[in-house]
Amino acid sequence: MAKVFKVTIEKNRCKGCGLCPNACPKQVLEMSKEINDKGYFYSQVVNLPACIGCRFCAFMCPDVAISIEQEEAA
Amino acid sequence: MEKVLMKGNEAIAESAIRAGGLCYFCYPLTPQSEVAEYLARRMPEVGGAYLQAESEVAVANMVYGAAGAGARAWSTSSSPGISLMEEGISYIAASELPAVFVNIVRTGPGLGGILPSQGDYFQAVKGGGHGDYRCLVLAPSSVQEAVDMMPLAFDRADRYRNPVMVIGDGMIGQMMEPVEFKEPKFPPLPPKDWATTGAKGRKPNVVNSLYLDPKAEERLNNVLAAKYEKMKREEVRFEEYNTDKPYRVLLVAYGTTARICKTAIEKLDAEGIPVALLRPISLFPFPEAKVLELGRKAEFLLSVEMSMGQMVEDVHCAMGHEKPVYFFGRSGGIVPSPEEVVDAVKSRLEGGKS
Repeated sequence: MAKVFKVTIEKNRCKGCGLCPNACPKQVLEMSKEINDKGYFYSQVVNLPACIGCRFCAFMCPDVAISIEQEEAA
Repeated sequence: MEKVLMKGNEAIAESAIRAGGLCYFCYPLTPQSEVAEYLARRMPEVGGAYLQAESEVAVANMVYGAAGAGARAWSTSSSPGISLMEEGISYIAASELPAVFVNIVRTGPGLGGILPSQGDYFQAVKGGGHGDYRCLVLAPSSVQEAVDMMPLAFDRADRYRNPVMVIGDGMIGQMMEPVEFKEPKFPPLPPKDWATTGAKGRKPNVVNSLYLDPKAEERLNNVLAAKYEKMKREEVRFEEYNTDKPYRVLLVAYGTTARICKTAIEKLDAEGIPVALLRPISLFPFPEAKVLELGRKAEFLLSVEMSMGQMVEDVHCAMGHEKPVYFFGRSGGIVPSPEEVVDAVKSRLEGGKS
């Protein structure tokens, strides 16, 4: 059974450094075209089904803005 | 002390507290807001004063007042906020008071954007506010260096009785790096016998920047000029990189761009093109003599900046017409990549555009 992951990005903690899209091996993340409360272009999930739960993005994030949870497949 | 991982803005705040900067006034502005956020929590713990003012104009005048009363007063802001503070900074310089201002530079002109820039070089180095004054300007290129600079900034502000500007950029403010808080030792400072601490048993001290008598005003201008000449003799700071062997090109860069230049130099070295870097740490006083000395050994100089070309004027001024001085920069918040710097060097070596 394929594992399903939930990626949560706290957009207002993101400073738009762009490290996480770079760290993701599956192009799950992309920088937004909108700005967050602080005025930064934040990271967002654009292709969740591709996520393999490696957590590289969460480890890479200097501001601990990314959480990865494994969900039970329906 | 142990190394801790800290964001640049928070590390600057903690370092200032440890240096005795217990009078802090601020107005939040991205990308330096974390300084204010950190100190809002930390200042009450150490018995310091934290006040968020109604504007940066008010901030600068609060710093002016606290400095006049003998406190180690300081503030932080980012480019548009520093512009608003410049009037107060001019008054502080004229009144010969010590104060430290940190500018976490963002893009401009105008409100600009919140990404890293070095577009405030002119403002910081050439005066900023009105009148004949200078700030001692220090530019860190890592979070550790920013931490080390804060005690130095407070010490030199007190020693010269002049505002000191620490100029970082959005990158230095937002980046997290391991830092160690050292306890630097400085020679004892003269007592602040000019401070307005209450005139009991002595003549009142007056903090003033108004001189209607032209002779008195010129006397002040001469006193200030003498300070800046002393800074030029004693406060020049820089780092040399790769200058111990022959090189073809001398890069001149400060702050974040200097780090990018170091990576570019490694890449160029691998291609057999020896390149050196001079990183000014003090922007005023500018290491003019060093630029000339190192520049003479190169075919040309390249000033690399996150601006449209500001420090390049000082490099040119120092170098005269002895060697060509070129410029490469990105702006708008775009941080140049090492590859772009490599290309900028190579295109000029091949006699391309100048």
